[in-house]
Formats: sequence, C-alpha cells, structure tokens
Amino acid sequence: MPQVRIIAKNFMDMVAALPELKLDKLYENTFICEAVLRSLPPLAKKYVLQLLFIDAPVTAKSMEEWVLADGLSKHRVAIDRLIQLRVFLETTESGALPREPMPSNITVRLPTLEELDVYALEQWELMDTNAQLWYIMREYISNSEDRGEDPADLISFLLELSFHATGQAYNLNTLIDVQMHTLKDLADLGLVKLQQGRKESWFIPTKLATNLSMSLTDSSARKEGFVVVETNFRLYAYSTSKLHSEILRLFARVEYQLPNLIVGAITKESLYNAFENGITAEQIISFLQQNAHPRVAERTPSVPENVTDQIRLWETDLNRVEITPAHFYDEFLSKDVFEGASDYARENGGLLWEDSKKMRLVVNAEMHAQMREYLRRQK
Amino acid sequence: MAGHGEKNRPTKRHKSSAKEDHHRNASAVEEDHYFGEEIDEDARDADKEGKKRDFTKLELKPDHTNRPLWACADGRIFLETFSPLYKQAYDFLIAIAEPVCRPESMHEYNLTPHSLYAAVSVGLDTDTIVNVLNKLSKTKLPKDMKDFIYASTANYGKVKLVLKKNRYFVESPFPEVLKTLLKDEAISRARISSEGSHGNDSFTICKTMGDIPSGHDELLDGIESAAAAEEKETHSFEIDPSQVENVKERCLPNHLNFPMLEEYDFRNDTVNPDLNMELKPQAQPRPYQEKSLSKMFGNGRARSGIIVLPCGAGKSLVGVSAACRIRKSCLCLATNAVSVDQWAFQFKLWSTIREDQICRFTSDSKERFRGNAGVVVTTYNMVAFGGKRSEESEKIIEEIRNREWGLLLMDEVHVVPAHMFRKVISITKSHCKLGLTATLVREDERITDLNFLIGPKLYEANWLDLVKGGFIANVQCAEVWCPMTKEFFAEYLKKENSKRKQALYVMNPNKFRACEFLIRFHEQQRGDKIIVFADNLFALTEYAMKLRKPMIYGATSHSERTSILEKFKLSRDVNTIFLSKVGDNSIDIPEANVIIQISSHAGSRRQEAQRLGRILRAKGRLQDRMAGGKEEYNAFFYSLVSTDTQEMYYSTKRQQFLIDQGYSFKVITSLPPPDTGADLSYHSRDEQMQLLNKVLNAGDDMVGLEQLEEDADDIALQKARRTMGSMSAMSGASGMVYMEYNTGKGKHSGQGQAKSKPKDPSKRHFLFKKRFT
Repeated sequence: MPQVRIIAKNFMDMVAALPELKLDKLYENTFICEAVLRSLPPLAKKYVLQLLFIDAPVTAKSMEEWVLADGLSKHRVAIDRLIQLRVFLETTESGALPREPMPSNITVRLPTLEELDVYALEQWELMDTNAQLWYIMREYISNSEDRGEDPADLISFLLELSFHATGQAYNLNTLIDVQMHTLKDLADLGLVKLQQGRKESWFIPTKLATNLSMSLTDSSARKEGFVVVETNFRLYAYSTSKLHSEILRLFARVEYQLPNLIVGAITKESLYNAFENGITAEQIISFLQQNAHPRVAERTPSVPENVTDQIRLWETDLNRVEITPAHFYDEFLSKDVFEGASDYARENGGLLWEDSKKMRLVVNAEMHAQMREYLRRQK
Repeated sequence: MAGHGEKNRPTKRHKSSAKEDHHRNASAVEEDHYFGEEIDEDARDADKEGKKRDFTKLELKPDHTNRPLWACADGRIFLETFSPLYKQAYDFLIAIAEPVCRPESMHEYNLTPHSLYAAVSVGLDTDTIVNVLNKLSKTKLPKDMKDFIYASTANYGKVKLVLKKNRYFVESPFPEVLKTLLKDEAISRARISSEGSHGNDSFTICKTMGDIPSGHDELLDGIESAAAAEEKETHSFEIDPSQVENVKERCLPNHLNFPMLEEYDFRNDTVNPDLNMELKPQAQPRPYQEKSLSKMFGNGRARSGIIVLPCGAGKSLVGVSAACRIRKSCLCLATNAVSVDQWAFQFKLWSTIREDQICRFTSDSKERFRGNAGVVVTTYNMVAFGGKRSEESEKIIEEIRNREWGLLLMDEVHVVPAHMFRKVISITKSHCKLGLTATLVREDERITDLNFLIGPKLYEANWLDLVKGGFIANVQCAEVWCPMTKEFFAEYLKKENSKRKQALYVMNPNKFRACEFLIRFHEQQRGDKIIVFADNLFALTEYAMKLRKPMIYGATSHSERTSILEKFKLSRDVNTIFLSKVGDNSIDIPEANVIIQISSHAGSRRQEAQRLGRILRAKGRLQDRMAGGKEEYNAFFYSLVSTDTQEMYYSTKRQQFLIDQGYSFKVITSLPPPDTGADLSYHSRDEQMQLLNKVLNAGDDMVGLEQLEEDADDIALQKARRTMGSMSAMSGASGMVYMEYNTGKGKHSGQGQAKSKPKDPSKRHFLFKKRFT
C-alpha cells in the first residue's frame, strides 16, 4: 500500500483516485499513458523507462538499492505514485490524433498565437492560472456524473486535448455529442476557441489546453515571478505584459508604466475595489506570493508581513457588519409576557437584542414561527 | 497606511512655489503658521486621482539588466537597491534628487529644481549630472529630463559669494554672468570698485583649484575627471558688506535667478583669529559622517548647507567636526536650554576645546568665553528675542552681533520657522552656515526657505542602510489597535462631547490596559527603559498617577526635569517615564529603547519621526546589531490607537514619513492577549464606568491639548480649528516656535502679541483662504 496518502491537489491525483476499472480503461488511450508519464516525478519517470523492457518482476528491495540513502524519500514518493496510478509497464506506439485538421484551402483568418494567449488568459483572474484551472476542472469533473457524463471519458478527452497543437484549427465533425458539449464549456474557460465557418466549425486549442497535462500535475515548478512588494505598499512588477498590468489594476493603483516595469501602489481604495468585485484578500496575497520576484522570493515572507496583515485587516473590516434577518416585537401586554418571551428567545438562542424598559425584542428570523406560536400560547 | 510619499510634479511645483516665496516675503510673518505639511497632503490627494504615467516607449539599452535605474520624463527615478552599482548610484542620486521613499528593494527619487541646485552647489556640473545619469539608466534618458536638467542648472552654481579677508566678493568663472548681475541696479550700487578703477568694467581675475573629484567621476571617463581637477580661472568683484543680504536676495530664482553659492575660504582667512581645537583621537567619524563632511568641505572651502541624519546617528559629532575643521569662532544654536547643555557637553566630549573657550548663553546661565575666539552655545530665542533684555544679556548679544563667526551651527532646523531664521541670520554675521536636522519633511514652503536661507541640502543618509550597518537601532514598529469599550464609544459619538473626543479615545480603558500590559512586559521580561508619550495632559496625568510613574510636561521645572531624567538614566527602580510633547525634541535620553505613544498631535509625520528618534541611538555591541547579528530588533515603537475613532486616520498619516524611510508598522489587534489581563487596571465594568465619569466631568480646559508657552504655533492651530471646526484640515501643520521656557517671569511681550493677534483671512495663503472662510 502507498505509504504517503496524497490528497487530490491536482488533476493527476484525481486520475489516481479513480476506481481501478475506470483507470485501467483510461490506459487504453495512448495519450493518457503519455500524459501520465509526463506527470510523474523525475525518479518515477526513470523507473518506468528502466523497467520498460524488463518482463520479470523486480523486487522492491532491489529497487531501493538503485538510489543512494539520501534519495530514499524521493524513491518512496516515486514508487507510491506509480502504485497509485497503477502504471502499466507496456506502452504502444503513439498514434495520430483522431481529428481532422483544417484544410489549407480555407482562408479564414485564424488568431495569432499571441492573440490566443491573451484570449486564454483573459478568462482568468488572479491566483496562478493553472491553480484556478485545476480548481474549476476538479469541480467540473466531479459534477460530470450529475450531468450524466462518465468522468473517465471526460478525463480522457481532456488529456487528449492536451496533445493537440496550440493555434491549430480542428474540425468539430470528429467529436461525439458529449465531447461537443464539453468543448463549449472549455471555450468559456479559454481552453479552446471556437471558430465558426459557413458550413463547418473548428476549435482551436489555446496554451491552457495544450499545457493541461503538464501544468495540472506540477504546480510547484512555477515560472519565474516578477512582483516586488515593499513595506510601504508600493508594488513593482518586472513585466512588459499589458495583461499583467490589467491584473494588477484589479487590486492596485498603477502609476507608472516603463518599458519593463510596472509601478503601482496597493491602497485601501484599490483593495476595496477588488473586494467589491468579489476578489478575496487571500487570492490577492497568494497572487503576490506566487509571483514574487526571485529577488524577494527567497526571503520569508516574500510579501512583507505588514502588507499581508493589512490586506486581511481591510477585508475583515468590510465584514464587520453582519446582517441577520430578524423580527422586531413590541407592545407586549405586560412585563411578565415580555420577560417570558425574552427568556424563551434567549433559551432557544435566538435573542439578538432587548430593551426591557420599553419592552422591545429583536429575535432571529429563523425563530419567528416558533416565537409566534409561543406568543399565541401565552394569550 | 498605503498612502505613500509621492510628490507633485517637480517642474510645476517649483514655478508656483517661487512665486509664493516672493509674495510671502512681502507679507505678514504670522502666515508661517499656516505652512505645514498640509500643502504636501494636498499634493498627495491631487495625485491620487492622477493619471498613470506611460513611459513604455522609452528605449531599453541592450545591457539594461546591469544598470540600476529608470528615469522618467516627469522627474521620477526608480533605483534597484540590489544592483551591484547601488552604492555609487545612491550617492549620486542623493546628491541630485529628493528621496521620495527608500524601502528595501526599490527607491524612488524626484528630480526637482531645488535638488539640482543642491547638486550644483556640491560641485557637480550639468554635463556630469546628465552623463552619469545616462550611464546609470536602463533606458535612454528621456529628452524631457535632459532638457529639465539643462534648464534648471543653466544658472546655478555660476556665481559664488566668497568672504575673503573680511571682504565679500561675488565670484564667477563667467565674466558675462557678472556683467548681467551688474546690470541690476541694487547690485551695481553695492559694488565696491577696486583701486580707483572707476567706471572700469574689468574684474579681478584669480586662479582657484577645481573641485576634488567627488567620487562620481569614477563612473565617467578618465578624461573628464582629469579636467575637473584642473585649475579654473575666476572673475570677481567686491561688494559692500552691508549690502550682502540685498545682493543675495536679488540673485534668488524669483529675481535674477543666479542663486549664489556661499563658500568660506577659511584657510586663507587671516583676519579672524584661529580657535585652537581639534577632534580628540577617540572621535572617529563613521563613514556616513565622513561623507557628509566631505560634501561640505569638498573643495577645501566650507560650503553652507544642510546635513540630514536620523536622530541617534551622531549629528553632534558632525557639527563638532565641522567646527574643528574650520577652527574659527563658532556660534551654535539649539532649540531649548536642555539641548544647549547637551551641545556644550558634546563639544567638550569630542574636541580638545578648553573649558574657558566654550560658554552657554541661556536665561539661566550667562557665560562668556575668554580670549579672542571661542564657541557660544545658545538658543534661537535668545538671539532672535525682540523684547527688552537684562543689561548682562544685552552685552552678550552685542558681542554676538559684532563678532564675525566662522561657523553658524544650527540644530533642528526643521522646527524653526523662516522668520526666525531671517532674524537670526540678519543679527549674526557668519562665514559659513551649517544646518542639522533629522527629518526634513520635504516640499513644504518652509523647507524651500531653508534652501536659500541656509543653503542646499548637502547630504542625506539612508535610514535603512544605517540600520543594516548597525549605526542606529533596528526598531520594530507596531500599531496597536485598541477597540473602544461600548460605553466610551457611545459617549464618543455624542455631539455634545465633541470637545472631549480626544480625551475619550485616549482614556479608552482598552488602551490603558494595552499600555499597562506593554510597560509590564518590557520592564519585567526584557528589562527595557520605556518612554510613554501623551500630548493630552489630562491623559498624561491620569496614566502616570494610576501607574505610579514620573512624568515631565511643560510646567515641570528645569531642575525637576533634570532630576527625573537622571533617575531614569541611573536608577533601576525608574524604568518608565511619561513625557508630554516637551520630550519630542532634543531631550537626549540615550537609555530608552521602548516608546509607547498613547496620544499624539493629529497627523504630524514629523512628530512621529522625532519620537522614534528618541530610541534610535544604537545600544549594545556593534556586531550584534549589524544585519545578521544576534539581535534582530533592539528597540520598540508602539503607537496605541483606539479603533473607529479619528485616531486611526491620524495614525496612518503620521506613519507616512517613517514608512517612506523603509519602516513598516505591524498591526497588533489584541493586547493584552485574550484570557490574560485580569490583573491589569480597569478590568471590571465598574472601574471603567468610574473612569468614564471622570473624563466626562473633567473641565473643558482639562481635556484639551497641552498648550506650551513655547508652542505659539500650536495655539494658532487651536484657534483655527475652533473657527473652522475641522481638525483634519489642519492635521500635520505643526511648525513649532520654540520659546525658551521661563518660569515665574511672566510673558515676554513679543510672545503675548503673537498669540493674541487675530488672523486676517485676506492675508492667508491662497490655498487656505477658502477653508477658513
């Protein structure tokens, strides 16, 4: 049994968590095999390749001897992972994609790769895009059964998608209905772009789709960060990207744009804007941390503590007023009735406010029916 | 807390300020009260709506990663502190630009006409500025910036005012510039024609050494630095000593725009007697002190100007060193009597000056030095005082008037209003003026005046660098949020309590408990020495009495102050003292390493920085303090604020200056920690209600701010508040007038007048007219 229990943190964990039968069925697909192989930790990858041509079983003990003592923990992780994924030791030649490419005689203007990237990323905000993608995909896959779809089919299709070439147009006619339906959802998420022709239609995978299998497994190997946040709430982003500047603008005030630097400030106003748009303090902080410039990434914390504290405090400040639906009772007939009612409400945990002088009560709306019943009984 | 030190666009700002200057020179003196930080606040607010600035079109150099800075067309400069060229770039930028904020990774600077004036006066010429800047820049230098530098410096540094053998000369390498000046009637009249060459336009020509290469040249080609060290030919004409102030004024940017640099060729001054003193061998200036002195004495003469060092970084050693280099009589001006004592002590500590060559001149001690040269330490007020003096004082002041001072050493120049300077400078005749300060809160009108009254800023140290070097304490700053108790908050919100709002949020029992908790923690757990600051006298008294700690405020006599401070320094039983704002400045309490601030003067950034300064003096061993040493933090600054009150708003404003210097305030939300504090005061609701009654029943006069006699400006603020009914508008405006405290002698007539003089709205600065009327 695997010694390390892995919580489904990413796509491949989810694959690993599939029932045996479904998982085995998945491995009938070449692309899934390759995707799984790619997703493995380097040591596990090596083992798979080493064991490819060995027919006889290899004992765990002898495998342990392949690594030096200090590599043992990595070894265990690799082996556990391979076991979780029920990796087969045989693979077949990779075949051609079951899609029909767009004929070259069609003269529709296809989006350029850059446009495609922008389109893909426009659908996302904050956090690490891959992390968000995973977040949504997880929900999407786990809800698939409710929609009458087989999660294994869905996973298989998603992984297949990751082997398509970015920017190429593929005809929709090879897709089955379920896949068509999925594809429309994926278009909303920016994984593909749909292109409508006069008679036929195509879909164009974006980088998000083609990176799917890779990015969904290894979220720790991230790209180099670019943001420096200072203790005075100034923010410096080493970036030339308009998109980055737009993302920063969601929660910061951008003040200067230089050829390779964006200068801004995190202010109370800019944060309130973000909060109003449904962005949370945690999302902002994790965006800043995940994209910390290498200069500051190694220092702990990478984003100054006073800044993260303040962002959180401003958020909690907004949530200080809680709204509880409630009912107001007054004009009690006597002090006794009032006190009885107030005790009753208190005992049931519904009393929010009372003014015994003026004999007024405010009680949680959930208790209203109960209260009415109680008061009627008093008469 | 996220506001930040951004300043208006320098170009525009300068133009308008030059006009205001002129306008203001002619108008009444009391307007000075209205020039606080508020102007700066306006600039900030205006900028908030401001548009972002797009300079993406600037062309990056191929090797831009090796270069440390970006320069924008509007004068803003961004500097990477992790660049290998950081040190050189910092020295250069601090010489040519105003620092806006200097946190850890990225600094921001503004190029302004004043900063360029300062650059020129420490010996940088226009081409050097442009070339070095271009060299350091990641992009091609924006044309606007180049034009701005050329335009601003075109006239700067071309004319010098030199006092040689007690004759004043206007000196320039460019004869045509001198001719331009002489076209001005006032200057032409002031000219003294030499050796009967009447009507002759020829100037005296002599050769002087060029500037000693200032270190930036290493960034330039060898040829240029060689040229800089060559001899230069200068032309000069002599002017009448009595006309010096007039000539200077004619040369200011708002008139002829050839601001004169003042330098003192003290080595060739044979008229004024030498003062035999030098630094003692144990007085070893630190690198940054050395650097600031080298800016002052860069070309062998003494330049007038201002040196900015944080409190505790050893300003007095810089002052004493400067006096020891010039070795002529020195007049040292401080803000109050305690500080006079401390300066006299510093002179004796660091220099070999003889006891009888240094004397103090205050209302209590009227000493006179022996011999023909010496050091006099006194206060601004003693010199500027306009009323009737005692016979003895009159004699001393007459001596001060008549003497030619080699050095006029001015402490805490940021707190002294311009008219006071004008007066002091017109009374005393000095060859060189050195201003010292810790917090040059920039860009307000008073600072502009300092530029021309004393001289440009010669050097400004970076706080964080000094912390890293272990030269000043590494302070952990914290803002402690104290929720108002229900009962106090209810009273706080009532209209009829508007006058005791401050008393209510300062006396908030939760704040008191947080304060008591902190005092106990630092006294008992760490053995620290603590200063508690409260501006509100009622609170100061209540806190100090309840906690049984000694306190000092305006009315505490000089001898009692000295005795309390002495006990605090030496006794193990006195570890906490309560100070009103008399403790903000100049009282040197090197032992303290914890500050708890329970109430403060509205949004004054300067007060916050000055209070922090009380604990910046580094303690313990140097190697422990340096970055990576044993002690990460060795000093603590707590600001206690009652949540949901005005204090929160002020607190954010107050911290701005320190935040710009790279300090960060950690927010602490629960003190004392939950489940503790049963043994602290005001634990029960009954006790809290008693306290509330006390606050509500105290007389109106009790609960207000302390009004120090020496604080005429504050009183002016109070008046303004009452008429306009909004504290926020005046927050931060806090130029204090320092009056020497003088018990039992009645009010000086001049002072009384200043207080009672009503403000005439029509004379107010145009920015404020609307607000007040």
